[in-house]
Amino acid sequence: MRNEFRFMLRDRAVWVWLSLAFIFSVAAVTLGLYEVSQQRAEITELTQLDQVEREVTLSDQSDWGSAAYYTFHITYDAPSDFAFAAMGQRDVSPWKHRIRMLALEGQIYETDANNPDFALIGRFDFAFIASLIAPLLVILLLFDLRSGEQVAGRLRLIEASVGNPKKLWRMRAGLRTGALAIALCLPVSIGGLMSGASVSALAFCVAAVCLYLAFWTAVTLWFTPATRTGAYNLTIMLGVWLLICAVIPATLTQVIERVVPLPDGGEIVLTQREAVNDAWDVPREATYDPFIERHPEWADYTAWEEDGFEWKWYYAFQQVGDQTAQPLSQAYRAGQARRDEFAKWSSLISPATLLQRTMEHLAGTDMRAAIAYEQSVRDFHEKLREWYYPKMFKSEDFNADWAIGALPIFDPAAKTRTENSL
Amino acid sequence: MSGSVLIAKEEWRQWLRSRLAVLSLIVFSVLLLFTTVLTMLDAQEARHARLHQQEQAEETFLNQPDRHPHRMVHYGHYVFRAPPPLAIFDPGVDAVTGQSLFLEGHRQNSAMFADARAEARTGGFGALTPAKLYHLFLPLLIIALGHGVILREREARTLGPLLSQGVSGTRLYRGKLLALGALIGLLSLPALFSSIAASVSGESLLAGLTLYFGNVLYLGIWAALTLLVSVVTRSRGVALGVLSAAWVLTVLVIPRIGVTSASVALPTEGKILTDMRMNDDLRKLGDGHNAADPAFAALQANLLEQYGVETVDELPVNFRGIVASKSEEELTETLNAYAEKRMERERAQAAHLSAYGWMSPYLAIGGASRNLAGTDLDTHHRFLREAETVRFDFVQGLNEAHIGKLSYIDDINRNNGEEGNRRARIDAANWQVLNDFTFTPDPASDRLRRAMSKLLALALWFLGLLSMGLLAARRLTP
Repeated sequence: MRNEFRFMLRDRAVWVWLSLAFIFSVAAVTLGLYEVSQQRAEITELTQLDQVEREVTLSDQSDWGSAAYYTFHITYDAPSDFAFAAMGQRDVSPWKHRIRMLALEGQIYETDANNPDFALIGRFDFAFIASLIAPLLVILLLFDLRSGEQVAGRLRLIEASVGNPKKLWRMRAGLRTGALAIALCLPVSIGGLMSGASVSALAFCVAAVCLYLAFWTAVTLWFTPATRTGAYNLTIMLGVWLLICAVIPATLTQVIERVVPLPDGGEIVLTQREAVNDAWDVPREATYDPFIERHPEWADYTAWEEDGFEWKWYYAFQQVGDQTAQPLSQAYRAGQARRDEFAKWSSLISPATLLQRTMEHLAGTDMRAAIAYEQSVRDFHEKLREWYYPKMFKSEDFNADWAIGALPIFDPAAKTRTENSL
Repeated sequence: MSGSVLIAKEEWRQWLRSRLAVLSLIVFSVLLLFTTVLTMLDAQEARHARLHQQEQAEETFLNQPDRHPHRMVHYGHYVFRAPPPLAIFDPGVDAVTGQSLFLEGHRQNSAMFADARAEARTGGFGALTPAKLYHLFLPLLIIALGHGVILREREARTLGPLLSQGVSGTRLYRGKLLALGALIGLLSLPALFSSIAASVSGESLLAGLTLYFGNVLYLGIWAALTLLVSVVTRSRGVALGVLSAAWVLTVLVIPRIGVTSASVALPTEGKILTDMRMNDDLRKLGDGHNAADPAFAALQANLLEQYGVETVDELPVNFRGIVASKSEEELTETLNAYAEKRMERERAQAAHLSAYGWMSPYLAIGGASRNLAGTDLDTHHRFLREAETVRFDFVQGLNEAHIGKLSYIDDINRNNGEEGNRRARIDAANWQVLNDFTFTPDPASDRLRRAMSKLLALALWFLGLLSMGLLAARRLTP
């Protein structure tokens, strides 16, 4: 074993691939940590600005209706301590919103998108290194293990000198893969400990990466017999990599997209907009009836006190706008969840998918987390409504100074609770 | 020359005898064909759907009943970006930007519902498109088939006899290059099909053919590199290792490093943060819904003086409409200033990233391909700008109607019972302020100009690798 280890260290190619793995992993972890710190800094700045802005705006208002109209609230999904390893859905779904008490369906789909060119090329995070590049490194480390000895004419000699040649090759391959696993996982573990990620998440991640590498080791050993040339073996393995890492995931995406069609997102916003705008022209009962159905407690407060515009009616039809769009919106979210469910099961036949999804799950950057965050925004918006309705329907006196301290504030922990209940 | 053809023919004979080579060829051809057809159908369906949605959005707007004009400002309008014909080859940023935009008074929305957001997360490289296959994966096939073209002769010990029979290294090189060229010619047929199909549906043939030749050039780079490595290395294992490493670095690693470097060197602020900063600026402009806002006092004084009247009621025009129009104008100036700043920053990032194109042909062809197809960042920005023009025009058109068609007295009494509400409406004929919106790709010459530096980088790569290969081939020894 010690001999084998020394033997491995004498192989120049092994050094090249292992150092590449190490450099990639260090780069990915560093960049990931930097990105997370940027996102945290942005959230801090947003929440500070938000507080100041709300105070300024509120002090300018004279009634609850315009207070609700002009004050915005920041909601956000802070990156977890392990998010540096897999940015996942955070790169495509919004993780921050600035909402107010108007119809939510018109606000929640706003995406604070990055440069689209970047999204096309993709991120250099640890999940990318582990799921797509690491298999290539396994292949490059192992493809010539036996065929190389065959070409050098040593194969028979070596196999004859040990009791069980299979064991020998497994050991040689294991040593190389093991070294690769260390080169990959050491940076991510150190980065994780530095950022305060839970030890169990780190251990799980390392275990998943090791299993994945073991899978690739087995596949490579299986497809690279000594009877063929190294070049032939490598060509075959590049094909296997292409199949497992590109073709299968892409096919799964396509199939899932066709099996679970989503309602056109634009329809949701369109429906909401028609409902809200029509409300100005239809009799007030048409707004209040569906509103009271949801909020029977305000049934006795819908009388018009003055012959003109009333904020309570305005917000009632905003809510009715959301209610009208609700079936579509729910279908959209249910579709997203169903697609995710399909992807989860389909990852059983696609190892690259499985590893990617595992990492995103550990990092809290998967689709479930995105859905949970969206739900927490909805819940917060609901809270906002419940806070304002009594003031409007009971015509309470406006008090800006009191409101500044009493308005509901988004609680980022709500997302975790929602996620656990999903 | 005929010698080279013979050599090339012999190489093809060798490939066709190898089960592995034939299998790889078949697999890639099937992948290419499937992806080409699927992407084409998807793009055409999307194009059809969005043109239809655009028509419908316009119809809905025009069919709105008599209303208060400002209500129509908030009712808003939708614009859609139909994918350009060449999106059947490279859908580009479409999937990540979203293609519909809601236009309303007082704000600029971002495009919503990008496909990428609701896509099932399966890892890998996302959905396959012909462009992705050509740029990411076809180099692997060229490497797999091509790394041995010289080395095979060397390893089979036929290189010595060949050279001693008077076949010069250069001729051998030319022959092998011809064989790889034929391979590329064959593999690029689906791309040629896509560009011709696009030109049938209205795309300029020049853009399509440039896109095609750009891809051929890119694959040519890989062929030249493969050949070079095949000439200078001594074993196929080493050659494959070197080529795979080159592929991993230039296709997978450098582009993503470039992205990170661009976003670290030129960080962008999120839209929300920008909006909040902008709010500070906007507060100074006054609220256009509130004609009594002190920000409009000077405007009021000027108007009163201009018409020689004492109060706003006596003005022959609707003061509230004037305030709405004036504030929309100022607001839009601020919005546009911020939007331009943001787009400028994104373009700077893109330029930073293209500089990496000199290190990675993959980045160069990816950028050039999106430029030529009309699915690049610049086109997206133009879409945003054109949408903004539509937005500003219809909002100001409605404000114009607000000023001229609705009296101030009726306007301020709009909440005064049913009758007041009815009187504060204007005729639906005024909704005709909406202009038709059809988004078309830039003229081919503009797209070519944008792609030129990237194509130049590709040409330099090709020529550089080719001359290095030729130099090495001249000194070819068994």
